[in-house]
Amino acid sequence: MTDSTQTAPAGPAAARRPHLSIADFFGKYGVFVVFLGLIVFFSVHPTSGEAFRTWENAKTIFGLSAPLAVMALSLTIVLVMRDFDLSIGATMGLGGAFAITLMSKHGVGWGLAIALGLLIGAAVGAFNGTLISYLRAPSFVITLAVTTVVYGVEFAITGQKTIFEGVAPAYTWLGQNRPLLDIAAQAWVALALAILVWLLLDHTEVGRYMYALGGNPEAARLAGIRTRELKFLGFVIVGLGAAFAGIILTSQAGASSPTQGVAYLLPAYAAAFLGSTMFRPGEFNVPGTVVGVLFLQVIQTGLNMLGLNTSVVNIVQGSILIGAVLASLVGSRRR
Amino acid sequence: MSDPTGEKAPEPAIPDGTSVGVAETPYFLEGIQLHKQYPGVLAVDHVDIGMRPGEVLGLVGKNGAGKSTTIKMFAGAVAPDAGEIRLDGKTIHLHGPHHAHSLGLSFVHQELSDVPNLSVAENVMLGLGYPRRLGAFVSWRRLRQQAAEVLARIDAPIRPDALVGSLSVVQQRLVMIAHALARESRLLVLDEPTASLTNDEIEHLFAVVRSLATNGVSVVYVSHRLDEIFEITQRVVVMRDARVVANVPTAELDRRSLIAQITGTTSGQTAAERRAANGVGPPPETDVLLEVENVTLPGLVDSVSFQLREGELLGIAGLVGAGRTELVRLITGADRRASGRIAIRGRDIGSTTSSALDAGIVLVPEERRTQGLVLEFSIRKNVTLATLPQHRLAGVLPSPSVTQERKTAHAMIERLAIRASGSEQPAGWLSGGNQQKVVLAKWLRRGGDVFVLDEPTLGIDVEAKEEIYDLMEALTADDKGVIFISSEFPELVGICNRVIVLREGRIVGQLVGDEITESGILDLCYSHAADEAAPG
Repeated sequence: MTDSTQTAPAGPAAARRPHLSIADFFGKYGVFVVFLGLIVFFSVHPTSGEAFRTWENAKTIFGLSAPLAVMALSLTIVLVMRDFDLSIGATMGLGGAFAITLMSKHGVGWGLAIALGLLIGAAVGAFNGTLISYLRAPSFVITLAVTTVVYGVEFAITGQKTIFEGVAPAYTWLGQNRPLLDIAAQAWVALALAILVWLLLDHTEVGRYMYALGGNPEAARLAGIRTRELKFLGFVIVGLGAAFAGIILTSQAGASSPTQGVAYLLPAYAAAFLGSTMFRPGEFNVPGTVVGVLFLQVIQTGLNMLGLNTSVVNIVQGSILIGAVLASLVGSRRR
Repeated sequence: MSDPTGEKAPEPAIPDGTSVGVAETPYFLEGIQLHKQYPGVLAVDHVDIGMRPGEVLGLVGKNGAGKSTTIKMFAGAVAPDAGEIRLDGKTIHLHGPHHAHSLGLSFVHQELSDVPNLSVAENVMLGLGYPRRLGAFVSWRRLRQQAAEVLARIDAPIRPDALVGSLSVVQQRLVMIAHALARESRLLVLDEPTASLTNDEIEHLFAVVRSLATNGVSVVYVSHRLDEIFEITQRVVVMRDARVVANVPTAELDRRSLIAQITGTTSGQTAAERRAANGVGPPPETDVLLEVENVTLPGLVDSVSFQLREGELLGIAGLVGAGRTELVRLITGADRRASGRIAIRGRDIGSTTSSALDAGIVLVPEERRTQGLVLEFSIRKNVTLATLPQHRLAGVLPSPSVTQERKTAHAMIERLAIRASGSEQPAGWLSGGNQQKVVLAKWLRRGGDVFVLDEPTLGIDVEAKEEIYDLMEALTADDKGVIFISSEFPELVGICNRVIVLREGRIVGQLVGDEITESGILDLCYSHAADEAAPG
């Protein structure tokens, strides 16, 4: 009747209970269980099983996941602050295209090319961050508009052509070599990044402040947290991450093709949102995002191995996503 | 959520309403032996309650006493575990809020729950089926007419086509009442309806309530404001620890016995008594701590100047819209001031939150849920939010040490008697009083010289209020300065050394020491108000 009695009635009792109820378990691990179930399914299915349940296939999945993982991990930082960035697909394309073009057409060394590719991503992020954080423009429209601008810049740089000449061998090392345990370098890099982002979000003051900003911006501001700087920083990181994902992608292909990043935009969101249904339901979190990325790649690979045609793959992939999220809702729904 | 009962005080003898012979009219709506058990919390314990046509029934009790759950059973929002609800003598089973409404049971909740971007007419008739044209299209003309009729019934001078978002709080509340009454109502439940209303507005609301009662509507009036209970109700039901502990005609109660019933103790002090008992006097003759000079924010705060001494508890009074919250938000840097000077111990400070914080000025904001807490954060994370660098791993790494944080949280839970299952409980699950304590704990841990508390006791129960008063007094005993805003003027009378009164953004007077009385404050609030044009 007064706001103080709005307490969820089950709340204190649930918190007091030491063991995990079935509902709690499904709320936290439901999607993860579905993920494991899919791996088992593809491993035993007569059509896909033989090819799927190999170490070679696992390594392929790790490698293929890397660009998406880098995208989704950096996106997670912005999502934690309850903001979003729709320009990451375009930025990914731009970062890769810029680095490749510098090498191919301007004779720039691979190291500098990578550095400048990252820098241009950071610049896009800083532009977004300035408009959204300091000038308080709505991120939906801004990042959508910036997407168009970034495409324009990319086309101007590449002339909308696929570029494959003059790519330094060292540049493709990241995407094409398997330095350790026969697993692709890009997968190791993505893993390292996952650990870094996890440390940032879960084990630093900055990360705690980012979660606080997402939970209640006003309370965070009144607590003396520099909320605008924090959000700006988040956009710079996501721009940097997207460009890095683009560099990995072009390193893998040894070439840059037009609008190469756009295919990663929605999967990055799907992975992060899938992740937010796992482990800490309702909160974007790094372990969740990592499993989300692998989840998507496993579905993709598994369905391909089943030999389904693209239309079926799309429908099944979307349906599995919906089902996974519903599974977690069943568990987490409270009265 | 529940108030731990602690040791049971002896039950004060209170007559039972049924035995006094007031039951001239039979109950038309009854709850019989209603019972609701949540995991770990007994919310409603075999409660009998009844409503009569044309009667205004006051329902009072501390937070967590079970009022809310009881009301929700009649609203069809909560299903009782046991017991039954009888309407006109027949047992009914409510399927949901819509069902209750269709039976003429209407509820106006404390929070404004109308849709701000729709018109008044759309809100009033919301969910009742808009009138149609050609079977498919809304007939806006007839919709406006219908809404206007309902609004006229409660004498609400509001245009049906105005946007609800553009209305004042009282107008919005009237729209909610109109919505509740748009269908033929037999019962109207008003939950804390006067929160953030001015006295004139409250009078209007009371007039509406009285006229409804005269027309045979049964009104249940839920409020923590006991003066209102005495003014408007004919009968009072007191709940405590999930049970009904009294059901008596209002005329047989006085303030003291009512408070005794609510708290289960025999004390029940008035504000003036509290003031005398605790020896609250004028401000101490100490050094000036905070200086505020000509602080201005155009249209809201007009050249306000005052000083605060070490160990002083300064009250800021005023009606809603007088600029109290706006003023303290300027002082604490929550909003930027347009001009004016603020200094701590003679040293000027800037106009941002961080400069105010660095200078030792902290704000416990008005809205604990939207401004004070990160609701999904645990108590631990909320308490340490403003002092995270003091909880570093190994003392240096910019990584919060959970062990250190827990130590802080547990210390605060103990110091402020926060009722929670532990430091990991999400703040959103706590009761209002305990949420407020978590916000306070955050700032106590941070420390500071000037504590600004904006309506810290709003909507929390009598016991938690006392604890917050004690805390403010402990701060002043420690030579801190405290600024305390409250719309409940008796609170200010009970503990302040000095009270300044704001009206339309300006200081219109101050009361020092024993000059502080409720009527004194009210006089200042309303002085000159009559001969000025009504504010917009």
